[in-house]
Amino acid sequence: MSRPDFVPPVERVDNSDVDPLGTFDDGTGPKFRLNFEPEERELLIRLLSEMKDLLTSEVTEVTAPLLHRLFPPAFRDDPEKEAEYQRLMREELVTSRVVSVDLVTAMLTADPDTGRLADLSKPDTMAFMQSLNAVRLVLGTMLDITDDDSAEQADTDDSHEFQLYGYLGWLLEWTVQSLSETA
Amino acid sequence: MSGCCGQNGDVPTTLEPVRVEEPDVDEALANDKPWVVIVWNDPINLMSYVTYVLKSLFGYSDEKATALMLDVHHKGKAAVAHGNREEAEMHVFRLHEHSLWASMEHDV
Repeated sequence: MSRPDFVPPVERVDNSDVDPLGTFDDGTGPKFRLNFEPEERELLIRLLSEMKDLLTSEVTEVTAPLLHRLFPPAFRDDPEKEAEYQRLMREELVTSRVVSVDLVTAMLTADPDTGRLADLSKPDTMAFMQSLNAVRLVLGTMLDITDDDSAEQADTDDSHEFQLYGYLGWLLEWTVQSLSETA
Repeated sequence: MSGCCGQNGDVPTTLEPVRVEEPDVDEALANDKPWVVIVWNDPINLMSYVTYVLKSLFGYSDEKATALMLDVHHKGKAAVAHGNREEAEMHVFRLHEHSLWASMEHDV
């Protein structure tokens, strides 16, 4: 599996070779880099755009089950409080998710001059992690991964969708690991 | 970015007496009762992700966040935070933003 020139998809950037004294530290904390091929960026941007459509379109019989996991009930045994919570918070949760999707889409868009992605701050990287996880959750829901058995089955199924699901999980794992290296 | 207040919000002052309106007894009891925030097991969220979210949202140590995540995974759920209703709702909302399967109930 491991190639000699393997570059992690997400990595914390260490500037110590060019800036050993941290002289150019801009005070915004650690930086992270996304090492994506153009096709990966396009794939992720497309998935994010599809999720945004799902979030901002009217809920239908088809989309309701897909959205279920993105909007879990806050009060499981109190329908009245639950209705109130949904009335007050659902719109806010949609907005929060859409803001994050827009931010991450911009992060995945390369600088037209250099053809590269800008390095990310920690909050940006966390937004990336959050949106990536949400996309994976919707895909997992579509694939009907509803218990640990079907999750295991997903590891062995090699259809296109399950491969995509595996890829997103792999990417998410790298993102979490990079972030975990910071305090 | 984060508009949260949480534990570092308004610090009550001891200098001024607080005028309290007499609420309904039932409501007062309900409001006083602490709430518990629960995270439920789900087969999609990665274990490392759940641990990291608990660390970053609640400032838990690696050990504590990992122990809570393992409780979620093995026992089906774990109580990850406590508070009054407003605090608990804020926690649930932030957990939902991170797509964790969170809910809240009266602590018993």
